[in-house]
Amino acid sequence: MRKSITILLTVAALALPIVDATAATKAKAKKIVVTKRFTGSVASVDRWGSLQVTIVVRKTTTITGTKKKVTRRMTAVSVPVYPNHTDRSVFINQNALPILKAEALKAQSANLNMVSGATDTSTGFEQSLQSAIVKALKA
Amino acid sequence: MTVAASAALPGVRRVEQIMGLPLVVDLRDGCTGEVLDELFDWLRWVDATFSTFKDDSEISRINRGELQREDAHPQVRQVLDRCEQLRDETNGYFDMRTPDGSIDPSGLVKGWAVDRAAAILDDAGLHNYAVSAGGDMRVRGRAVPELAWRVGIQHPLDRQHVAAVIESTTDLAIATSGAYTRGEHVWNPHSGRPPVGILSVTIVGAELAIADAYATAAFAMGAELAPHWTARLHGYEAMTILADETVFKTGGFPDD
Repeated sequence: MRKSITILLTVAALALPIVDATAATKAKAKKIVVTKRFTGSVASVDRWGSLQVTIVVRKTTTITGTKKKVTRRMTAVSVPVYPNHTDRSVFINQNALPILKAEALKAQSANLNMVSGATDTSTGFEQSLQSAIVKALKA
Repeated sequence: MTVAASAALPGVRRVEQIMGLPLVVDLRDGCTGEVLDELFDWLRWVDATFSTFKDDSEISRINRGELQREDAHPQVRQVLDRCEQLRDETNGYFDMRTPDGSIDPSGLVKGWAVDRAAAILDDAGLHNYAVSAGGDMRVRGRAVPELAWRVGIQHPLDRQHVAAVIESTTDLAIATSGAYTRGEHVWNPHSGRPPVGILSVTIVGAELAIADAYATAAFAMGAELAPHWTARLHGYEAMTILADETVFKTGGFPDD
């Protein structure tokens, strides 16, 4: 229990300066947020039928003095037209619309046993070996 | 290399490089690790049989026309058949055929080999372990009796951090496919080009063979298709990270 509390505190401590920075920018900058829906053209997916994708993009324009900064973030994806050519696609389409949660990418540090997707060139082996040994010795 | 049990940490750990990947086996039951020899023999057999880098592997012999698929080892035929099923299931985005016309089932072999390694551990009566092949893994049980396994998902832009943390006490497979990882050579088989607008896809579910193939396929789909395709999977949950740093998680993605 004590371990999980420590982790929470670390994350909170990391998050605080970021929150402060945002508050400070807000005071000086003017922000314009526009959310728009974009629909792609109907595409034929090989022998699988046709497909069309709609995305929702939030465009944030921040004006500080004469400087203008534009950021765009995709907040939703939906597929109004989906291939129903094969049995498998029909089966998939009979299900409810996909549930997708969109959020911003965060960097976290935490007490971990393993990392997924960490392989990188030949150094991956040494890193992995090293971390396995370090963890074995520390724990 | 085997790391002996320390006073504080139960079990035994071994790391070897096989299939060009670091294979990490971390056993947390109070065991001597005798089963590790059988497990690593299995992984080496898989490498010798399936490697496209070894001239005498069955896959290399099939590619040179020296071995007919129907004459191959039953497990080779099984893997090649599953690759074809997965190609259909992923709308052609998981494809063992390479642009030069040869076959390379590596995308399935790694996860399949780890699934069978997990079965070897289950048969040996072990309930708490992790087996990772280059960052794609199966975890079972708990890291220590009072703590779950905690698996970080690599942050694709910041190697010092993770983008999510999964806590698991059940039997779980976790696979991540990303542009930053070691020579995965993921390309979109329909366009012949690498996917655009996407940094990584993580798939979580029961079998690593399937999770890994789905992760590879979804990554190959790129930013427009991957999030919604993963949302329609059955029994598998997904996290997709796009180049604009948007993260899409399916409803049941099991992170903290």
